[in-house]
Parts: sequence; structure tokens; C-alpha cells
Amino acid sequence: MSETPPPTPLRERARQALQDTFLHEALTIATTKFIGLRREAFGEFPDGEALRDRARAIKEATLQHLDQHLERLIDNVERRGGQVHYATTPEDACRTVLDIAKRTGARLAVKSKSMATEEIHLNTALQAAGVTPLETDLGEYIIQLAHERPSHIIAPAIHKTKGQVAELFARELGREIEPDPEVLTRIARAELREKFLIADMGISGANFGVADTGTIVLVTNEGNGRMVTSLPRVHVAVMGVEKVIPSMTDLAVFLAILAKSATGQKLSVYTSLVNGPRRGGELEGPEEFHLVLLDNGRIRQIAGPLREALSCLRCGACLNVCPVYRQIGGHAYGYTYPGPIGILLTAMLNGPASVKDLAHASSLCGACADACPVRIDIPRMLIELRRSVVERRIAPWPERVVFGVFGRLLRRPALYRLAARAGRVLQRPFVRRGAIRRLPLFFGGWTRTRDLPPIAARTFQERWAQLAREDHR
Amino acid sequence: MTTRAEFLARIRAEMGRAPGLFAAEVSVRPTRPRERLALLRRELSERWREDLERFGQEFERVGGVLHRVSAAAQVPDAIARIAAERGARRVVAWHGDALGLDVAAPLAAHGLQASAAPAAEVDADERGRRRALAADADLGVTGVDLAIAETGTLVVVSGAGRPRSASLLPPCHVAVFDRDALVTSLLQAGLALEAWHDGPPPAGRGASINFITGPSRTADIELTLTRGVHGPKEVHAVFVEQGLGPRRG
Repeated sequence: MSETPPPTPLRERARQALQDTFLHEALTIATTKFIGLRREAFGEFPDGEALRDRARAIKEATLQHLDQHLERLIDNVERRGGQVHYATTPEDACRTVLDIAKRTGARLAVKSKSMATEEIHLNTALQAAGVTPLETDLGEYIIQLAHERPSHIIAPAIHKTKGQVAELFARELGREIEPDPEVLTRIARAELREKFLIADMGISGANFGVADTGTIVLVTNEGNGRMVTSLPRVHVAVMGVEKVIPSMTDLAVFLAILAKSATGQKLSVYTSLVNGPRRGGELEGPEEFHLVLLDNGRIRQIAGPLREALSCLRCGACLNVCPVYRQIGGHAYGYTYPGPIGILLTAMLNGPASVKDLAHASSLCGACADACPVRIDIPRMLIELRRSVVERRIAPWPERVVFGVFGRLLRRPALYRLAARAGRVLQRPFVRRGAIRRLPLFFGGWTRTRDLPPIAARTFQERWAQLAREDHR
Repeated sequence: MTTRAEFLARIRAEMGRAPGLFAAEVSVRPTRPRERLALLRRELSERWREDLERFGQEFERVGGVLHRVSAAAQVPDAIARIAAERGARRVVAWHGDALGLDVAAPLAAHGLQASAAPAAEVDADERGRRRALAADADLGVTGVDLAIAETGTLVVVSGAGRPRSASLLPPCHVAVFDRDALVTSLLQAGLALEAWHDGPPPAGRGASINFITGPSRTADIELTLTRGVHGPKEVHAVFVEQGLGPRRG
């Protein structure tokens, strides 16, 4: 099953986001800060550009032998005492986790931040089965209390004010709480610490899975990833199949660019390498380790138009630089993954029909491709998606008709010139102060938020022809 | 439920239809990584002063505090000083064999309640008791398996006598290291990871390796940087100029 489409159209969601002045300010501050930090981090790191190329090549090379790398990962996880599960759909993945919870009698599951478990809506499934899922990343904890979704891949509660957070905490804990980030963080530490110590199950995602060693790698700043993978008696990691990398040597390459792209840190505070269940002599570590390998639309993109998006590291850099994301924020996108890469991932998970509007939520300026640590050509795939939306006749019919006619005109110069002449006459009633500000019928969609330049009194071709004549004289 | 065979068969079917976007190779793994690491360490031993200086700069940039003592015997005094400044009373530490020095007894002599982790497997009840100790501790003492100069990172490998919680649960983490742990770059740390995973894991090796780059932090509320959200609020590194004793693990 794919994700439920948002109840309101994109245009309406964007309009609401644009009216939210706090959101707008928060987005500007956060994204500007992330952009600056990222630039600084790479500026100080002369090898950065070469390592980005390396990282991209490793991802592509891994995909070319994905079956072998996954087999090695699976064998090595099993050799270290872990169990591997295979989930084609979100339902498969949720059922697998629920079965483990049931068998081990788990009632409370602590979670570290994971987009993969967001994408399969695992929390809803756990709740329905009587297992309490508790998000422990501070941002995720906040949005869980607010019953919302993350609005940024790495800063999920970017849209909340400290006042709103204090209110949420006050409601949860039944006492007055000061709206001070320091105080709020201290309260969250105390609340969640208790839960870490009594939780039965830890659930995480995986930033990488190292095939050579069967190691799951988690990158966090708060330390909750370490708690989740070390304190409960069962640890379940949910990992998209594309997260496998061949070796520890490859891992070092990715670590060198991931945090710099995400937050501008040289490394995130904690990079945790998890090698299965507790070993003899250790005081901590789970008795059981489970790895759930997730397909959910990824496998068919190995040979699909979105293959490049399988290289995504989920760093969030493309969100920060996107002029559309910076205006409307993550929620307006309406699905789990926001931003430019989010549109591609939404199409991957839910099919191209789900992004018939979203595919246009990009100016195709290319800033995302520049910022991407593995240089994913996001604009190219957005154009591909737009094309498939048209070809599959998912696009609204007036749009298809208008662009169909326009396309035909462009292919026939004589017809084009004729149409230009006709247009010059037909546009007259609509031109006001040098621009077409309102069009009738369904054409009005275009002019609702922007002007259309009128056809010039003399077209470029006419002027060019005249210039050529003057030259000859 | 999908089986391994079905799952991989679907992947192979798709791979058969995809030519690949461009010619690409994965990284070349070092052959005989353990020998290569030993060689690298010998090379690095010439330049530990530069690496330590860079480590200090980067470590302080991420919010760590670097201390230097000349001999291993001075480490407990340094830890006791850090504890006294914070009013810390309860200390959990790695076992002396894993640390290269026994700190529990000397710290007790300073009036602290210090307990070192057991060197070998203990039963579930004892593990539970130890966990409660770590959860209540004010300060945790660990060794360091790598100190990465370029990033100011401490790498700790878990195992027998090397509990994960000592660098995680107490609000203050003190890591003790010497020049043997220093490497220049993250890519060199990659070589160490290859070496550590070469062949079956030795007895007493744990299942967790952590790269720690400063105190636990978050900026999830209005991007205000706040320390100590789940892990330690403070991280100290004590460098021992003349080196620690032989270490196990």
C-alpha cells in the first residue's frame, strides 16, 4: 500500500504555508544557516570535491552488483548472530517488526530517528498492535507529541517555536514549563532517559549497511541512536536495500562528506557501528538483533527512471538550497519525504501519479544538484517525471491540450509565425501596462500568481531578419 | 512474507534490465590491513606532536576539553580534579586492563565512589546492577582506540571490560589516551576499521564501535545549540605523554 495522498491540493497547501509567518521566518533562518555551515565545511576541506565524486561512483558501482553486496551483508549479519528479514511492502515491514515485538513480549519500543520507519508508518502499526512507540530524537519526540510529520529530513521540528514546544511538553507532563530550549532539552533528557532504561525494544534505521562486515551504521548527534541499539533487549534496524555499501574503506569516504553536507559538522557527534547482538564479556547490547531489508518501490527503480535517486544519503542539503522548499517548508509537500529529493522519493514509493502536481514544485534551477553530496541530477529526473505525468495522461486535460498545441506550433515555423500574428491581435483585451495580468477560463491558472509577458510587437525572428537585411546594405 | 531467494531474485531481474549509468568501481580495500595499520602507526609515531595539536584544536572546536599529563600515574589526579570541579561523586570506568591503567582504586582514595567494569562475562543480574550504576554515575572513564586529529574524534570499541555505557550514560565522559591512538585523518580511521574486522573477532571484542566527536548535542528547538540531550554534556580527553600501560581488547 502506498501513502495516503494529502487531503488538500498542493496549491492550497502551499498557500497555507506561505501565510504562516513563523514558519517562513524559521525556514529562512534554518536553511540559510545550514547553507552557510555546509559551505564553510567544504571550504576547509580541499579533498571534498574529489570525495563527492568517489562517493557517487561507489554508490553506482554498488548498484551494479547490488545482489552480491546484499548477499554478503546478509551472510555477515547472520554470522554475527543477527537475523535478516525481507520486506517488499510497508505492510511486510510493519508485520515483521510486530511479529518480533509479539514474540519477545515487547510493550515499549524506543526509536531513533529513521526516515525508513516514517515512510512505512511503523508507529501507527505498532500502536494499533498495543506496542507503544516512542521517538527519542528530540525533534521527532516533539512532532510525535504534536501528532505531526517531520518537516525536514534532518531537522524534523524546524517549524515549531519554543513556545509551542513548551506547550506540548506542558500538556504531556501536566505542569507549567518555561519556553527555553535549554530547559526543554533537559526535561526531554530526563523523560526519555527513564524510558530508555525500561524499553523492551529499540528500533532504528540505518545510514549504511557494510557488506564486508555485516555492520549497521547510525549517524546521530544526540546519542539516542546509541541508547536504542545498546539498552533494550531487542534491536530492530529497518534499512532500505540501497543503503548497503561494500566496505569499511567505502564507509570512511561517505562519513567524510555526510555530516558536512547535512549540518556542516566534520563528523556528527556519534557514528555508531553496530555489529549484531551483545557479545560475550560485554555489559550492554541487545540479546537479539534484527535487520529488516526494505524494498517499497526501490527495487523496481534499479532499472527505472529514478535509479539515480537510489544514491541519496538523506542529508537534507537539497532541501536547504531549494527556493521552493525555502518558501513552503516540508509539510506542504504532503508526503514523508519533502524537498527536491522528496519529490523523487515520493514518486518511487507511491508511483508517478502521486507527484503529478509535486513534479512542478521546482524551478529546475539546479541548486539541489549542486548541493547534493553525491551529485544526483535531481532536475533531470523531475523533468522525466513531468514527461511521464503527461504521457500517462495523469496531467489535467486543459494543460495537456495547451502544451500539445504549443508543441505542434514550435515544430512548424510558418504556423508559429502565423500564430504569433494572430496572438498579437487576440491578446489585446488582456494586456494591461505591458503585461497579461489575467487570462480567462482555465488559462487563468497561469496568471493567478504571475504575469505573462505579451507577444512582442515584433518577434525576435522579424527583428533578426531586418538586422540581416540592414547588414547587407 | 518474502524469502531471501525471492527478494534477491527480484533484484537480479531488475539488474538484468539495467545497464548501469556509468562505469564505476567501489573502493579498493587494503590487502593485509593489519600489517598496513601497523606500518601506518609506525609512520605516524614520528608526527604525533602535530597530530595531537590538531586533535586538540578540533576537539575543543566541537566542545571537548583536552588535558595533558606526563605520566599514567597522574591520570587519577586529573580525573579527580575534573570530578571535584563538577561535584561528581560516582564514577564508572573501564577495567584497568582495557584502560592501560587501574583508576578505580586511586579514585576511591580521592573519596570518589568508583567502580571498574568486570574483565569477563557476568550474569544478567550483575549486568543489570552494573547498568544501574552507570545510569546513576556522574562521570564515566574510558580508553580511546583512535583519536582522529582532522575531526577531533574519539573512537571507542566496546568489549569485555569496555562497557558502552561509560561513554554514554553519565553526564561527563573522561577519555584517557596516548600517542598510540592518534591518527591524522578519517580515511586512516577507515584503514583501522578494515584491520579490526579482518578475520574473526578476537575473544572479548564487543559488537559496537563508536566515533565520538564532542558532547551530545541538538539544535532541534529553534536551532538553539544545546548540549547533553541524551549522551554526556561534557567530554574530556586526558593525554598521557609517556604513554599508558599495555592494553587489551
